[in-house]
Amino acid sequence: MNFIPRPKQEEVLDYQGGTMAVSAVPGSGKTHTLSLLAARIIKNGWLTDDQEVLIVTLVNSAVDNFAHRVGLFIEKRGLLPNLGYRVRTLHGLAHDIVRERPDLAGLSETFQIVDERAADQIRRDVSLAWLQGHPTALDVYLNPDLEGDKLEWVRRDRLPDLVSNIALSFIRFAKDLQITAPQLLQQLETLPVPLPLAQMGCDIYGDYQRALVYRGAVDFDDLIRLALQVLETDQDYLIRLRNRWPYILEDEAQDSSRLQEQILRKLVGPGGNWVRVGDPNQAIFETFTTASPEYLRSFLEEADFMRQLPNSGRSTESIIELANYLIDWTQYSHPQEAARRALTSPHILLTPPGDPQPNPTDNPAAVQFISRKLTPAEEIQFVADSLEGWLPDHQEQTVAVLVPRNQRGFELVNELKHRGLDYVDSLLRSSTSTRTAAGALANLLNYLSDPQSPTKLATVYRVWRRQDQADQGVLNRYNTVTKLLRKCRQVEDFIRPRPDRDWLESLDIRSGQTEVYNELLEFQQVVQRWQGTAILPIDQLILTLAQDLFTEPPDLAIAHKLALILRQASNTHLDWRLPELTQELAVVARNERRFLGFSQDDTGFDPDQYKGKVVISTMHKAKGLEWDRVYLTSINNYDFPSGMRSDIYISERWFVRDDLNLEAEALAQLKAAFSENEYSWYQEGQASQSARLDYVSERLRLLYVAITRAKEALVLSWNSGRRGDRQPAVPFLALQTFWEEKRGLRTDDLTE
Amino acid sequence: MSRFTSETPPSLTDEQIALVEAPIQTKIFLEGPAGAGKTTTGVERLLHLMASGVPGDSILLILPQRTLAHPYYQALRYPGVVAGGVVTILTVGGLAQRMVELFWPLVAEQAGFADPNQPPIFLTLETAQYFMARLVRPLLEQGFFETVTIDRNRLYSQILDNLSKSAVVGFPYTQIGKRLKAAWVGDISQARVYEDAQFCATRFREYCLKHNLLDFSLQIEVFMKFLWSNSQVHQYLLATFRHLIVDNLEEDTPVAHDLLADWLPYFDSALLIFDQDAGYRSFLGADPGSAYSLRNLCERRIKFQESFVTLPEMRAFGTLLERALDPNQNTKSSLSKDAPKKGDGKDPTEIARIRTVLTYEYHRYHPEMLDWISQMIAGLVDEEKVPAGEIVVLAPYLSDALRFSLTNRLESQGIPTRSHRPSRALREEPAALCMLTLAALAHPYWGIVPTRFDVAFAFIQAMEDMDLVRAQLLSEIVYRTAENIPTLTSFERINPLMQDRITFVLGERYERLRTWIELYQQGPEQEIDYFLSRLFGEVLSQPGYGFHRDFDAGEVAANLVESARKFRWVSTSDLLEGGKTLGQEYVEMVQDGVVAAQYIQTWQVQTENAVLLAPAYTFLMSNRPVDYQFWLDISGRGWSERLYQPLTHPYVLNRHWPEGALWTGDHEFKAGHQALTRLTLGLVRRCRRGIFLGLSELSEQGYEHHGELLKAIYRVWLKLPGERSPV
Repeated sequence: MNFIPRPKQEEVLDYQGGTMAVSAVPGSGKTHTLSLLAARIIKNGWLTDDQEVLIVTLVNSAVDNFAHRVGLFIEKRGLLPNLGYRVRTLHGLAHDIVRERPDLAGLSETFQIVDERAADQIRRDVSLAWLQGHPTALDVYLNPDLEGDKLEWVRRDRLPDLVSNIALSFIRFAKDLQITAPQLLQQLETLPVPLPLAQMGCDIYGDYQRALVYRGAVDFDDLIRLALQVLETDQDYLIRLRNRWPYILEDEAQDSSRLQEQILRKLVGPGGNWVRVGDPNQAIFETFTTASPEYLRSFLEEADFMRQLPNSGRSTESIIELANYLIDWTQYSHPQEAARRALTSPHILLTPPGDPQPNPTDNPAAVQFISRKLTPAEEIQFVADSLEGWLPDHQEQTVAVLVPRNQRGFELVNELKHRGLDYVDSLLRSSTSTRTAAGALANLLNYLSDPQSPTKLATVYRVWRRQDQADQGVLNRYNTVTKLLRKCRQVEDFIRPRPDRDWLESLDIRSGQTEVYNELLEFQQVVQRWQGTAILPIDQLILTLAQDLFTEPPDLAIAHKLALILRQASNTHLDWRLPELTQELAVVARNERRFLGFSQDDTGFDPDQYKGKVVISTMHKAKGLEWDRVYLTSINNYDFPSGMRSDIYISERWFVRDDLNLEAEALAQLKAAFSENEYSWYQEGQASQSARLDYVSERLRLLYVAITRAKEALVLSWNSGRRGDRQPAVPFLALQTFWEEKRGLRTDDLTE
Repeated sequence: MSRFTSETPPSLTDEQIALVEAPIQTKIFLEGPAGAGKTTTGVERLLHLMASGVPGDSILLILPQRTLAHPYYQALRYPGVVAGGVVTILTVGGLAQRMVELFWPLVAEQAGFADPNQPPIFLTLETAQYFMARLVRPLLEQGFFETVTIDRNRLYSQILDNLSKSAVVGFPYTQIGKRLKAAWVGDISQARVYEDAQFCATRFREYCLKHNLLDFSLQIEVFMKFLWSNSQVHQYLLATFRHLIVDNLEEDTPVAHDLLADWLPYFDSALLIFDQDAGYRSFLGADPGSAYSLRNLCERRIKFQESFVTLPEMRAFGTLLERALDPNQNTKSSLSKDAPKKGDGKDPTEIARIRTVLTYEYHRYHPEMLDWISQMIAGLVDEEKVPAGEIVVLAPYLSDALRFSLTNRLESQGIPTRSHRPSRALREEPAALCMLTLAALAHPYWGIVPTRFDVAFAFIQAMEDMDLVRAQLLSEIVYRTAENIPTLTSFERINPLMQDRITFVLGERYERLRTWIELYQQGPEQEIDYFLSRLFGEVLSQPGYGFHRDFDAGEVAANLVESARKFRWVSTSDLLEGGKTLGQEYVEMVQDGVVAAQYIQTWQVQTENAVLLAPAYTFLMSNRPVDYQFWLDISGRGWSERLYQPLTHPYVLNRHWPEGALWTGDHEFKAGHQALTRLTLGLVRRCRRGIFLGLSELSEQGYEHHGELLKAIYRVWLKLPGERSPV
């Protein structure tokens, strides 16, 4: 590995033990440094052979990134390449802890984990049921102007979503605080005044948990809660884990939640070794969670050692200046006094002369503000035009368009697709290979549940031939076959023809289109075999189909795992048949994805693999990544509000009275229920106000993160929103003004 | 292993001969590691007794598990050996059952059975599970066991297991819940499940007493409490059996050892064989400690040391592995004591040769590991001409998917496999499902309404040449479920176009089947086993029908009939509520997986010369060495961790567990370590030529594990010359 640490990084690498806090700016090479530190701990022989360095990071994509780098740093260790360290997200770690002792968490060893999407479905169902039982319970919060049909419509059409969203934050927050539904219920009963939102949250929370228990499942938040419970329950187990992980390295510590902090604190133990690296300015996952950069800030004070990684060689001087200015402006000039703590020093420093990882050559002209008003559609056109012009000459460079939310990304994808530009949208999507493999199997099962359907038959044909569609001639043949299959009205006459009625022969293509004929003949035999498997138990069915469908080891491994899970599902639901199992397959495919090494996106996203292609990502997903050229879009006062009078907040619904943010209010009621201080008693509206402020602050940090993704070129634009009344975000204007003034001062740089 | 034939008597060592030919009236305690020739000696001693004029029917041979009797049966099968009457070969449970049956009138009332004048009904695991299900199911709906996530059949079997443990360990079954609860360190609300488990166990016991049902636990209890102390029975047993041989004493239970301790003084001769470092059945209550204490009751104590099975380098590997597994390095097993000798892990040339008996390859994905294993096995069989029967593939647990995958891979290379495991559940067999679906259709008033898929699948199975598409078409048209009553309509009444699509040949077959069902429905309901055998004999096995040429399906049908018949024997219809018939109850229970879930007898003819795929413990309990072992997934944690059973606990429900002590993570860890050491040493000692280590970074489930076995092997690796140190 060709990584030569700079002096500041060496200071971190000199770590000998104890607690150490490292504050790092974007692009300061903290992942590299942390990986190298792990490798050194291993190489220095500080571990016995059953110990591991535990590296905890925030998102899955970072896990393999770390593992890969540590692996490169240490020499091959003989028997196994990956002994001596373990890289986990908090969820992954919690999963390891719970899975080792499921009994302590009241789980059987076969417990399932439902992912966000499945959990979301359950929560929606439960919320809807609650609303049906309490159709007017939320009326007190609705806009009094609503009447008649409109009121009915809001109740019917808008509230389910709102309630489900409130439930999401509420349940997550309650779990973070380790409050169970029965505890909350008990507490609410003792209160002199009603807290209607907390009551609602409590009802739904209870039903939601029961629904999970019924499925023998836990959700991701439970996993973390239960991990802490396990550690608190069994001291022996805790001690053994401490011995197993004598060094804990934590990345992205600014996003540490209350439970993460507690779990790691327990694992470290008194006098233990704990290195926490983070950047409070990059905390972008805090809304409605207990995650807070405050944990890192207070650790900075208590730690035995404090180190800084202030130099960044990632971006040009111009981009760094812009990022630093955003910090200054926020600190001193943000129109909301209370938002001024959103970004804090230190500034990003350029690398010193002779640095092994120097900054790119500066080009101020490569920073552009598109200040003119664009509609959302125009903004897409603008970005696409710009890319179309830029790409041909920069096939060896990387470029990304960062959007505030997924939907916007897909709109751009459509445009790029339309123009025939190469793009990569995997960061917008949940998964790639798990989904493909599971999807292929699901298509097959789907066909087997409805074997008469020519459309489904045609679909499985595409699935079967999905690998090799590169050659145009082959592709044409596939298309012909697909078309023919769609027209096969009596499928049995193709798959199991009678002598007097053979669809394939009736096509009369044996001599005219031999290749198509042979293709159909081969497919006929394959489908015959597939049909024969339909009566097998589900696990054998899947394994058998997988042998026809997959050749790649990860796909086969996924199929095996899916076979196990579906088998288990069919054991618990004896009445399930192919249609139900097919559905379950879709659910399962997403479920445990984040713990499995099966999926492509779990192996980390490497922008360098996509030179000359446009990567589209949300700003959140772009964290930790870098590109030569970056477009930041939609920097308007809706996605980046600043607490101005005209700002509109995504969480405040038009049909709710007094600009209340009901999610925030519900959480405030939850906290109030357990508060013993009468001065902090719940006051309606307060939480909505502070939620605004939190949101304003978090969006500032998001903008900071987004800007620091760019290495050489940065293009910022905004749009006027769906109704045409959005303004450029205040920080956008501030940065633009700063930049223009600065460039005015340095006219010699104006080369555009 | 016995190699007994008249021409080639086994070549025994001097110490074996000395033991075999010891004076008849001697009580001997023989101990030694696996592979030291103990069982061979036991067999020869048995033959020696008989050759010396001891009548066979005065000899009692006790084994913890029937499969272990194999070498003894083999020897006794030799013509002329059994001249003096038949040797009694039993497990303690078998002895108990036999005595209860024999002396039932003596004790039935005393033991609390409601109807002493009626004969006892002995329950198998399967039938006990059935009754348990009947009792517990309504309770589940009341909220019992709400806080555990476990599938129902495992729940039933764990409650039964608790009862068995109380019987074989020897504590009152009323203490099950209390004991489990006292050891629980987790969340207190969770401890409620133990109360539920106790409640169900008590309910079950009461039910058994009321209906003369005896599950395993009750058989043991009645025997130990009432029969053994009864002077008539005592006299009978003492008079009948004068000579005792016990093999694998360490695998038997404390109560069995109590019995033997009581009984031993009365025998004229005894040979107790004890396998050091074993006790693999501890999860079933095996207690090597109480077994070893019987040593003091024997006048001669003999130890065998040398292994006849393993190469010195294999033993050296075992020794190093044992040390690597022991964090405190104070191993006490027989292999590592009494230095220096072969295989003690001290001789550098032996250590250097360890590499020659171990083969491994590293893979990222689990299926890649399976590919590698299949290739290696194919190489051994095809190129090195190793008999397939000399190869075993072992894992702590074998999932069905894993078994299926491996079997497929090996069979595609022409290598036969076999699987030591109760065979597949009937519910898994398409042929059985077909018959049950047809049974439901023939008895529409049962209220069992098969899905359209079930009916279509039944058609595929039942009728020759029926394909999936036509079966679906047919079932969509002829199968009706109005008002929850499943009916089949006539082929003749459907639209001619459809008739044509389905074809008239198939239509005619369908029609014959339908008419048969219709005719059957006109008479009274027949016993379910009789109905099933008629369905098979009169329709399914006929030309044009699915079982006609399918021998396997015929086997399945025979098993289903057999299972239904046994079910009818234990369950009388007066036990059923709400006018249910036995047939309906049976079909429901099979569909629920309660009946015929795991314990039906195997119907697959197992060729001996086939690669064995088995859970490691199962292989150990067959007590048979092989040339090559494949250890699957050595990084997995299953090697050192037990399967968590939320309703029972093998260590807490044990005689040595101090009352009221808490079962903590430390206990868990130590127990896991001990089990792993025992397991791996047991395997090494049963391996003649080589071990292949299957390694994949991601487990079958897709998780990355660094289990204790992997770490230990890694530590061994670091000691081998030429292997690079990690740091």
